[in-house]
Amino acid sequence: MILLQSPSKYLLQILTTRLENLDKGVELDSYWIEFNDVRYHVQASMKNPNLLFLSVSLPPPPPETVSFGGLPPGAIEAIKAAYGVVAQILDPPRDGFSLTLKLNLSKLPPDEEHKHGVLTKIASVREVVLGAPLRVFLKQLASRTVASDIDKVVALVHRPMESFFLIPQVEKVTVVFPMRFKDSIDILLATSFLKEFVDARRTAGLNNAPPCSWSPSPPPELKGAPPEALSSNAGFVSFVIFPRHVEGRKLDRTVWSLSTFHAYVSYHVKCSEGFMHTRMRRRVESLIQALDGAKPDYEKAVKATQNRSFKRLSLKDGRSSLKSFS
Amino acid sequence: MLRLYLTCIRNTLEAAMCLQNFPCQEVERHNKPEVELKTSPELLLNSVVICRNEAEKCLIETSINSLRISLKVKQADELENILTKKFLRFLSMRAEAFQVLRRKPVQGYDISFLITNYHCEEMQKQRLIDFIVQFMEDIDKEISELKLSVNTRGRLVATEFLKQFI
Repeated sequence: MILLQSPSKYLLQILTTRLENLDKGVELDSYWIEFNDVRYHVQASMKNPNLLFLSVSLPPPPPETVSFGGLPPGAIEAIKAAYGVVAQILDPPRDGFSLTLKLNLSKLPPDEEHKHGVLTKIASVREVVLGAPLRVFLKQLASRTVASDIDKVVALVHRPMESFFLIPQVEKVTVVFPMRFKDSIDILLATSFLKEFVDARRTAGLNNAPPCSWSPSPPPELKGAPPEALSSNAGFVSFVIFPRHVEGRKLDRTVWSLSTFHAYVSYHVKCSEGFMHTRMRRRVESLIQALDGAKPDYEKAVKATQNRSFKRLSLKDGRSSLKSFS
Repeated sequence: MLRLYLTCIRNTLEAAMCLQNFPCQEVERHNKPEVELKTSPELLLNSVVICRNEAEKCLIETSINSLRISLKVKQADELENILTKKFLRFLSMRAEAFQVLRRKPVQGYDISFLITNYHCEEMQKQRLIDFIVQFMEDIDKEISELKLSVNTRGRLVATEFLKQFI
């Protein structure tokens, strides 16, 4: 899997299984956590098999971002628009969570395709809620309306206590990510990956992709931002999003890709390290074999195993030898 | 250029790998690799440094019962530097499995071997030299392949990401 998928596989599985087994309703109470500290809780009881309580907790936002009562701006409207009557927001949310939804499975559309579409959308609750503020700005870009925050630097949360920045304008939105990693090897690998983004953009066929650049120090667009939010050890990546990137169906995908950009790079850095470990282990094995080849006993041992031959005995042989006696 | 470097090392090793058992002169009933102690100059041969260029060299120190080979591997940029360090540390931690590998490299070098007369008794000299030379080739190959895999993956990661916007 190269790209991170928006619907949470586990949540989607829980929803579809619940729906398939409505009559056999069991008690359900499950907690789990996903990348960037997003926690989920699903609870359903046998008393009302059609009702399911879904709670989500979001990564703690850093001080420079704006939030309304624990949820990002625009999240409530986005939830209502995405789920309609199927989901009802409970106020206050369950203890320890930012949001609790009461899902009514009986209100799902009757036909299979639409039903699956709504379930997938519920499983993408993370994209709907966390991506809400970004979605608002990008929708304004698509309709080329003038936003109130024009030309100002907006900070949005994407990781625990870390934000990325938007500079909205009428004809484009510039998105800047300060990239931070804990481990020194991660930093080097990530820097080499991020430089590839700039190079890859230049290849033919990707001319319509958002122009991207990398710089080791904060780019000039971030002049208004607080300095504590501008620390980074793997540089700054900037993407310029134009209206063509957010028209129609592309809007959701763009919101998801940008919201999870850091997680995407981090995921591939870890995959790369895992791959290197496997390679090194294999190389060690082959070198040890070469060393064993230097021992004279090794050759004798190999020859001995090759010369041995076995005759498979079976019951038939036993019976035939018995027969010869009777 | 690599071939010449390796041939020179191979020839030096063939000359140097004439090890015999030698009980310790200083301490009764002890048998130590003299090349590590360097206490008795009459038991040591002159050490040889074979340089491929400023960045790569090989130090061969010989004594009557043991031989130490230290390698400095080329590291052109930050990424190669960290890949080399990671890989050689990975190998050195498994020194016991390799028997002839030293757990820590000699000061100023990236990786070291310690071959004693016991190793020469257990293993064929020619094969052992073949192993050292192959080891050196494999390190070079592994580092360049690791670097290539990082660059290839980086290109793929970037391309797939950007393609989503088209």
